[in-house]
Amino acid sequence: MARSATVEQQPANTGATLVVMVGLGVAFLLFMAFLNVVKSGNLLNDSNLLYAALIFYAGAGTLYLGFGITGTPSFIRFASLATWAGLLANTGAVAHRWYSAGHAPFASIYEMLLMFVWTLAALTLIAEKKYRVKVIGTVTMPVAIVGVVLMQLLRTEVRPLVPALQSTWLHVHVTLAMLAYAACALSFALAMMFLIQDRMKTETFLAATTWFTVATYVGVLTRFEKWGGLSVVAWNPEEKSEVFLSQGVRLFVVIPDLGWLLLLVLAAVAAPLFLYLVWRKTHDQGLLDMANRAVFLSILLQVLALLFFLLRARGGRYGSLDADGLFSTSLSASPFILSGLVGGIFVSLLYLLLLWRREDLERMLPSADELDRITYKTIAIAFPLLTLMIAAGAYWANRTWGAYWSWDPKETWAAITWLVYAGYLHMRITRGWRGRRAAYFAILGFAVVMFTFFGVTYLLPGLHAYA
Amino acid sequence: MAASVPRKIWQTLGAIKTGVILLILVVILSAAGTVVLQRPVTEADEMQRAYSPYVLRLLDELGLTDVFHARWFVLLLSLVSLSIVAASVQRFPNAWRFFARPYKTPDESFRKALTSHNLIPIKDEEAALSVAERVMQKAGFRPERIVRENSFSLFGERNRISEMAVYIVHASLLLILLGGNIDALFGWRAFVTLTGGQQSNQVQPQNGSPRKLPFAIRCDGAGQENYADGTPKRWWTDLSVLKHGQTVLRKQIVVNDPLVYGGIRFYQASYGKTGKLDKLVLTATPHGGGAPKDITIALEETLPLDVDTTVRLAEFIPDYVVSDGEVYARSNALENPAAHLVVESKKSGQAINVWLPPIPGFEQNASSPYAFDGKDIQMAYFTGLEVSHEPGQWSVWAGVVLMGIGLAVVFYLVHLRVWVVPVRDARGQLKLWIGGTANKNKEAFEQRFCKLVEQIEAELKISVKVGAEAPVAALAGK
Repeated sequence: MARSATVEQQPANTGATLVVMVGLGVAFLLFMAFLNVVKSGNLLNDSNLLYAALIFYAGAGTLYLGFGITGTPSFIRFASLATWAGLLANTGAVAHRWYSAGHAPFASIYEMLLMFVWTLAALTLIAEKKYRVKVIGTVTMPVAIVGVVLMQLLRTEVRPLVPALQSTWLHVHVTLAMLAYAACALSFALAMMFLIQDRMKTETFLAATTWFTVATYVGVLTRFEKWGGLSVVAWNPEEKSEVFLSQGVRLFVVIPDLGWLLLLVLAAVAAPLFLYLVWRKTHDQGLLDMANRAVFLSILLQVLALLFFLLRARGGRYGSLDADGLFSTSLSASPFILSGLVGGIFVSLLYLLLLWRREDLERMLPSADELDRITYKTIAIAFPLLTLMIAAGAYWANRTWGAYWSWDPKETWAAITWLVYAGYLHMRITRGWRGRRAAYFAILGFAVVMFTFFGVTYLLPGLHAYA
Repeated sequence: MAASVPRKIWQTLGAIKTGVILLILVVILSAAGTVVLQRPVTEADEMQRAYSPYVLRLLDELGLTDVFHARWFVLLLSLVSLSIVAASVQRFPNAWRFFARPYKTPDESFRKALTSHNLIPIKDEEAALSVAERVMQKAGFRPERIVRENSFSLFGERNRISEMAVYIVHASLLLILLGGNIDALFGWRAFVTLTGGQQSNQVQPQNGSPRKLPFAIRCDGAGQENYADGTPKRWWTDLSVLKHGQTVLRKQIVVNDPLVYGGIRFYQASYGKTGKLDKLVLTATPHGGGAPKDITIALEETLPLDVDTTVRLAEFIPDYVVSDGEVYARSNALENPAAHLVVESKKSGQAINVWLPPIPGFEQNASSPYAFDGKDIQMAYFTGLEVSHEPGQWSVWAGVVLMGIGLAVVFYLVHLRVWVVPVRDARGQLKLWIGGTANKNKEAFEQRFCKLVEQIEAELKISVKVGAEAPVAALAGK
């Protein structure tokens, strides 16, 4: 009790500013999403319910963040209330989708994201109530928000199931996958919190977060074209699909000047990393302060880049280097760029949260040992689920194609995920790996999961064309 | 010295470090196999477009264009299996001793070292032990009386199988790898295409000569059902298995439901029209008056129309085009069909060319004694069947089930042990020593253990009914 009393007395100047900033950012995102949603007339359809879920999740995310920053205990109550409301709307969206599609919503990546976000929200509430990891939502809610925003952009119309997908085993497979992946996401969030409680230096977090954002922007800028443009996939609004030049070859259009802006942002996000590296050599504290201020500046620029990208990619027609004429594009054509930009902002914000409010965070989180144990527990749930998911998928493939294992990229990466977590368990059980090394392993595991889920679908070709 | 080399190799194979290095290699190489285009699933010219000739030759020589069938990959997986075997065999005897001969009578040093233990002062050894026995029984520990020289102690446990769980998981993994290996060596995949009514006892593997089956398979019918928007909803094929000319099995297969006979599976893989005509249904109306009649005619078939006249279907073009005074087929799709009929009269020996639709320059429709109208075109269909033989799959499924069980035991069954021993402390006072341990999830066990001790304490108080006992018991807690 004494603990919460001291927390309440804390002034919340920087915190309040940040909450307002995040709130404004979220409000803008919601407004953009609303523009997409409002076109459909029917009020209670799955995309409007999903929109409601987005509002609640975003509200919950802000409140969790606010709790992390100011330590006001009432924030956490409202945050879980908002998560409950979001979960309810999300359940409604799942139910509506199920009803209107006439099959369980596991057939496309849109439907799977729907299930993933649902599971993540449910697990967040469980972690909060059962294990008392109160600020877990600060990490999981942003993931949920990115998921819902992605869903707003993906093709949402219900498509009839192709014959290969009409199988109970598929539903079993996908349900298990979503449960396993959500458990992996939770273990990732817990591992991050462990690192905070384990007194990992704030500078190390600075390095990690800036590496992440720099890598994101470098990745996006591989699409940099001559004269400062950025090439994005062309989109056909009538057919709601990407434009293909020939089988498997996408047509790219160039949005002028966007490349320059992103290059500027890259410089801004690279600046703190550069300052950090110099600091490593000179140990001049002033450099570190400068780096932290540079992170703050880079967030503003990142938001600017996101706004610019949203405005330019939503409408307008652009020329292409490979074909004559003007083509339109859409946010739906560039889900990776968009989630990269949003992800970069979240990661930088989380770093600032840590920088400004580390002591409060440390007081509110369970002890490092406790977090280490809960991380292991979530992986002990995730690993059997992963195993069964692979087994159900193999059984389904055997009934459909006559082969239980054909080494297609999705299968191979699922096996790699399994091996990474198997490695974690072996090191933990036989070598007694605890603490930091185990946490790194949990983080690596989740990175592989994300690659299996998104990366393989978009970057590598294979049989898993539906997802 | 010579004997120690194989021993060293064996030890190295079983070391956890070797296992982890091998797994990292598997991870890296299989990841490479998903990034580099793989020959078995890529067209040859696409490979050439993607890589320069030099790079392609290098990749080919390294085996990176077919990682999952390369010899070194198989070798690597075999090494992983060997490593699992070695690790399990090396560690098994210890675990087995632990499992088969549980430690039932804790000696003094063990009693001191155990984290979870408690001492309760008692009056009567026998009575206290039977109280403890009752409480343990209720808590599900199934206590066992361990008789010593002149007294006895108690030992109770739950889920001893938990100590063996790791071996169950490793054995299941070996079963899966074994099944995969059997299939890689003895399994095969092939394809067969059948048209309606056709039968075959040969199937075509992706490369190599056709494979002969010990029975024949016949297609009795096949079809496709569509959703309202035209996308396919269901493909089906009625199949019969024929042995020595006798039908031994009939089944309708659909995409997720194959036919299995003699370990060979037939899967619905594709369905389509051959572009060839099966039957044409026509209405023939005599020019001289009389009732029109329906005829069903196949290509090159001759049917009598009346005593004098016959009709023959000479040509059927699914998608015709007229060019330079010739009728050509533009494609095999049923787009713009034309039928060429020849109407012959026995009496006059005259043959008249009738075209449906009438194509100027070819048709002599007006001089035919019958007028023809197309009613229905039944195109021949084919059904494509994937055929596979996987003798190892049962080992794989057995391994999967075993692994499910093993993992459930590994993660969710905890081996709990509780000992109750009557002891005398330094001052010669009689006490009940209660100790317990769990092989994982120790915090949860700690709570459970405390509850058990409390219950024994409470029961003892009831049975002894001595009011002054309470503060002593509290002091004796530590």
